[in-house]
Amino acid sequence: MDFYRVLGLGPKLQLNSVELQQLFYGRSRELHPDRFARAEPSVRAAALEESSLLNDAYRTLKDPVSRAEYFLKHRGFDIGEQGTKDVPPELLEEVFELNMALEELKSGDESARPQLATARDHFAALLAQSDDELTNLFAAHDASPAEAVLRQIRGVLNRRRYILNLLRDVNGYLSN
Amino acid sequence: MAYSDKVVDHYNNPRNVGSMDKNDPHVGTGMVGAPECGDVMKLQIKVDPATGIIEDAKFKTFGCGSAIASSSLATEWLKGKTVDQAMEIKNTEIVNELALPPVKVHCSVLAEDAIKAAINDYKKKAVPAEVNA
Repeated sequence: MDFYRVLGLGPKLQLNSVELQQLFYGRSRELHPDRFARAEPSVRAAALEESSLLNDAYRTLKDPVSRAEYFLKHRGFDIGEQGTKDVPPELLEEVFELNMALEELKSGDESARPQLATARDHFAALLAQSDDELTNLFAAHDASPAEAVLRQIRGVLNRRRYILNLLRDVNGYLSN
Repeated sequence: MAYSDKVVDHYNNPRNVGSMDKNDPHVGTGMVGAPECGDVMKLQIKVDPATGIIEDAKFKTFGCGSAIASSSLATEWLKGKTVDQAMEIKNTEIVNELALPPVKVHCSVLAEDAIKAAINDYKKKAVPAEVNA
């Protein structure tokens, strides 16, 4: 896991954002091109590459969701791949119903609007809930790393992605 | 990316859109989704209990053109097949028929999953009924 290595971090899912930023600034200074102005071209190139890796690492790890996706990918999970279907059936039902309501609204049936507003609030709450779940699962994993916990995290990530897509659609239509 | 003529045709004129009563003991319902793209697909079959032949199939899909075309095609293929034959339908056949590009292969996988989910739902319902008979 290069992103963890370049920041000098151990493989933890819980990261403190202030500490992470300090590590990033510290490493950025160490790798600053000015320091390598008179170095061998190969050394300079290596520092530049490391510096670009560092930027990607910080951008990915500072966000808990992209961090978890990165982490899971390097633990052999097919996160972000089309084909992951780890979603609870009840959520599928809700997603389906909400899409039906969206379609009615699109076809000009304004009576679907209040239902959509209710659904949006419900899905916003589900989103907040999945964020809490992630926080708890991160802590559980760091306390005792286990494949089962990572699988649970993947389930939450999938659910979250679904909810985000829906919220975007619903908000788009409600604001029209 | 251009869709094939067959995808466009199914997208513009989807076959068998609709739903059946999911509480009907002869109706099997499969609901599947792909979180990555937000797709959700419901596919239902109605089976003649005497012959085991699928007499009707309906679907409703929220998703991209390829997902809609894959499930539309699936319902066409399901009608007239036995449940066991239906279980044999492979996503690769859907890919070939619709000329789906690699990035859309997952849509056909979703359709295959929906078929299997519908059949499993039907079988789950049918078993207790047969025990009683």
